[in-house]
Amino acid sequence: MHNKRLRIYLTGVGGQGTLTATTLLARVILDHGIDVVSGEIHGMAQRGGVVESSVLMGGWQSPSIYYGEADVLLGFELLETLRALPYLAPGGVVLSASEFVPPPDVNMGLAALPEKEDIRRQVRAAASRSWFIPISDLGRQAGALQSGNTALLGALCTTGLLPFGLEALKDGIRKYLPPKVAYANLQAADLGAAATR
Amino acid sequence: MHHPLLAPEGTKMLLLGNEAIARGALEAGVMLVTCYPGTPSSEVPDTFYSLMESGRFLLEYSVNEKVALEVAGGAALAGALCLVTMKHVGVNVAADPLLTMAYTGLPGGLVLLSADDPGCHSSQNEQDNRYYARSAGLPCFEPASAQEAKDMTKAALLLARRIQQPVLLRTTTRVNHLRGPVVFGPLPEPAELVPFKRDLRRFVPVPAVARIRHRALAAILDGIRPEVEASPFNRISGSGSVGILASGISRAFAHDVVLANNWQKQVSILDFGMTWPLAEKTLETFMRSVKTLVVLEEGEPLVEQAVYAIAGRLSLSLSIKGKMAGDAPLSIFGEYSPLIVHNALAPLIDAHAPLREVPACPELPQRPPNLCAGCAHRSVFYAARKLFGDSTCYSSDIGCYTLGLLPPLSCADFLFCMGSSISAGSGFARAGGKLVLGFIGDSTFFHSGMTGLVNAVFNRHNLLLIILDNGTTAMTGHQPNPAVQQEVLGNTCVHMDIASVVRGLGVSRVAKVRGYNQKAIQRLLAEMKEENGVRVLIVEEPCVLFARRTLRKKRVCTAYVAEQGADARQCAETLACQAFRRKDGIIDVDPELCTGCMVCMQISSAFKAKKGEE
Repeated sequence: MHNKRLRIYLTGVGGQGTLTATTLLARVILDHGIDVVSGEIHGMAQRGGVVESSVLMGGWQSPSIYYGEADVLLGFELLETLRALPYLAPGGVVLSASEFVPPPDVNMGLAALPEKEDIRRQVRAAASRSWFIPISDLGRQAGALQSGNTALLGALCTTGLLPFGLEALKDGIRKYLPPKVAYANLQAADLGAAATR
Repeated sequence: MHHPLLAPEGTKMLLLGNEAIARGALEAGVMLVTCYPGTPSSEVPDTFYSLMESGRFLLEYSVNEKVALEVAGGAALAGALCLVTMKHVGVNVAADPLLTMAYTGLPGGLVLLSADDPGCHSSQNEQDNRYYARSAGLPCFEPASAQEAKDMTKAALLLARRIQQPVLLRTTTRVNHLRGPVVFGPLPEPAELVPFKRDLRRFVPVPAVARIRHRALAAILDGIRPEVEASPFNRISGSGSVGILASGISRAFAHDVVLANNWQKQVSILDFGMTWPLAEKTLETFMRSVKTLVVLEEGEPLVEQAVYAIAGRLSLSLSIKGKMAGDAPLSIFGEYSPLIVHNALAPLIDAHAPLREVPACPELPQRPPNLCAGCAHRSVFYAARKLFGDSTCYSSDIGCYTLGLLPPLSCADFLFCMGSSISAGSGFARAGGKLVLGFIGDSTFFHSGMTGLVNAVFNRHNLLLIILDNGTTAMTGHQPNPAVQQEVLGNTCVHMDIASVVRGLGVSRVAKVRGYNQKAIQRLLAEMKEENGVRVLIVEEPCVLFARRTLRKKRVCTAYVAEQGADARQCAETLACQAFRRKDGIIDVDPELCTGCMVCMQISSAFKAKKGEE
């Protein structure tokens, strides 16, 4: 039994498949005999809103992660990574998409996105380690845009933060994802893992 | 059939709180499930839907919560063990039968799931439905983990059957939507029917009977007090002098905060899981064992009031902290959190423990929920705003189309609840003397729009009503309703034609139009604008997600901007489709998001179509 307590905060945009990734990660953790609780908040978020979720491993009861508590921040969209940065614990680790999904006000010309380099700077200042990965690109390369989420999980598996590696994630993909999308997700997991090296 | 939720006893599986509720109901031998979908309850019936082939139970998506409870109530009279699921505001709709069912009792047994939403993640209010346990006289269970969601559902159903009374299973969004390990219990065959015995002095609550049954209800609740006091769901742990009395998800926060701070020796915790009838002896024992008591419960101070009453009656000298005396940061508003619980406990346990602060969050472009690219509601709102502007008031309703409130569409001025678009719109027009445009979806129309429409015709109200018929219950995840086409419904349900229903309810001016046909929508709205009385425009267009996933519709083309300039900009700023992109003044259409609905092309000649999947 692995007793390391780790809190992972995940954030993305409704429709991206963030929750599928969250559930996959939680299932792989439980399959390794590690206690896990996971949460999601997504009322109307299928319609393009923010989707926040959590995975807490190693003996937590509450599925909530509050400001300053996340050991790992997984951002499936770059603006949401920045928005969620206050959730990161001091010395936490960030893995983020390097791409934006622009929100409505930006598309309407009413607001501007922050500069990507500025976001990277803020993330580096807050995190002990950080990676920015073009997950949409990797998803397309793997054969399905949404498999980009799995690329980020693949990257997470190479950080040494989890008590298992990439192969365990790939076992989970084979076990839990529908066969018709499994192949693309296996590819995406490899591409994401390679992106951290 | 093979389904993970039918796995044998001893299986350990990661389940959503709502999936765990379904498994718990199966373990109790549930025979009939009825519901009206609503976040955060919807995955419970949807899980049962995925289990239909097992043949273990009957499932019905009813047209509203009152009907759902009455159908299940009738089945429970006939002896079936029943589960009814809904969100918290749905219980208001079902309250009428609920409060009398508790008088008559239900021989087969019935559990009502009320999924509350403190913090209003997806609701119009954050009412606390534990009040219903008290006003109706329902034993009440409040789980805080996936395992408990399963175990308490089973316990609630078994209790309901044993005492032949309705029982409340009360959850909150955090519990419905958490995932945790669940160890399965045995999966028996469905329960047997309890034969109905005619009993006019019980089941027909005329006043003389009702008076007797009110006393019978009180006696039944009194009768289960010993088992409530002994309930495994009310547990005391630790022996410190600071007592934490916690219910719902606050229990999880309390345990995590105590562990994180190594406060185990200073506190004792009463996990309060079976919260009605009140386990007064358990509370008294706990209160006598501590010097200070902190009550952690989201919403109204119901347990806290009881604690004050017990302390007063027994002249206990302990100090009580909660929301009634305004002990920061505890309040009736929103959800509790690990931070709130930490800050409530820290000053009582360690005077030097720093309080935790909410950090300053960066000001970033917001990302509110938004109508999908290709959603026909957007097309209708565009036309409505173009023709009516600010000259009319927009009476909105509950569904995806509530999102029409955001600029630039700005098509919602007021809203109360399911169905209120029609009746509140009628009243507003009568008193305000202003034209009112009402919007209601197909499922909401069948839920509680029809009654308001009859009233509008009967009382000669003046209302232009648009029924946004997307052929599914879109907001909650595409559950069946009478507007879903027959081919999708299959043999178990019957499709109903909204136009025939509307005409049957007495409306003589009814028109139908396709949701992507801008020209026709604008022409019909212009005509109806000049008319008086109740007139109804039915806009038909399948929900774009439903069309893709269930109806298997493929897009034949996507839009692109052929000519940059004022025209393209005007369309982008007034239609504001999610697929539009703007960078450095250049308007663009995201080919991955565009569904090829062609609405932008009808509005602006700057947009053109190109064939193919991309």
